[in-house]
Amino acid sequence: MGCEDVRRVIYFFLDGSLNDAKLREISRHLDDCPDCGMRARIQKRLRQFIRRRLTPVAAPERFKVRLSRSLRALSYEL
Amino acid sequence: MKSAVANDHEQGWDFEKAAMPYVDSLYNTAYRMTRNSEDAEDLVQETYLKAYKYYDKFEEGTNFKAWLFKIMKNTFINNYRKKKLTPHKIDFSEIEESYERVIQKNAPDLIKDPESEIFQDMMDADVKRALDSLPHDYKMVVLLADIEGFSYKEIAEILDCPVGTVMSRLYRGRKMLERTLLDYARKYGYIRGGAEPAKMRSRKDDLKGRKKKDEGAEEVEVREPDENEEEILFKEEEDFEFEVADEEDEEFAIE
Repeated sequence: MGCEDVRRVIYFFLDGSLNDAKLREISRHLDDCPDCGMRARIQKRLRQFIRRRLTPVAAPERFKVRLSRSLRALSYEL
Repeated sequence: MKSAVANDHEQGWDFEKAAMPYVDSLYNTAYRMTRNSEDAEDLVQETYLKAYKYYDKFEEGTNFKAWLFKIMKNTFINNYRKKKLTPHKIDFSEIEESYERVIQKNAPDLIKDPESEIFQDMMDADVKRALDSLPHDYKMVVLLADIEGFSYKEIAEILDCPVGTVMSRLYRGRKMLERTLLDYARKYGYIRGGAEPAKMRSRKDDLKGRKKKDEGAEEVEVREPDENEEEILFKEEEDFEFEVADEEDEEFAIE
């Protein structure tokens, strides 16, 4: 696998979604190739950053109450 | 023997018990997709009412959360179409080029810890804006994978598309998101580089020639591939033989 190929699958490598053989192959490449290794580190950190900043927004309590009521009303209607 | 009415009520309680634990997840995605709480509430409510009506179509033992997300995705798309909002179109090659330029020029800065040294001053609003700049297909995939933690296969079930399409959109969506964040970082001086942000071309421009400026063409109109074009692009990526660890050949159970 060349650098181009590795760069296209870095995300999937970081997701842990590649099979073992590919995983080993890419790990080896990232250890040996400083440029690809650097990109993998950058992408990993960017993703961590995005995940941390996009904290989940919980549904408002009053909405949950309203939703439950609507569902119950529907169960009587149907 | 219970009456049909009593059974209906029982089904209502069962559904509520099964579905309410996912309301925060659905709301979070709805909120990111619609970008405001009122529309997010409407979307989740519509999703739950539909899911309740079709609860008997849900197959026991399959992924209930994914089933709810699938209903929400369809509802979102239908509403979106009704409003006749045209999705943004993306020229991905320009995103890639611009991303490459920023990465190459800023490598020394970027290999430091971006959380502590580069992005610490970046506003949460910038991150949200970067996410909002994604076309909805790409945004949905990024949210489902990176925020909700669905597997590629589950996302394929939710979106009704092949796993390869999910991976392709995820790859592009993340790249667009990162590119936009790197643009912000550069613009506000968190990183030094001088790479210009990508100028995104409209597909109409490609097909019909450049629009005159006084026609009010948006400068940042972006395009995404149409279905046929996606096939071609995915084919290119499929050549890399993405072999997903948990990929199985079984049929998806969700209707």
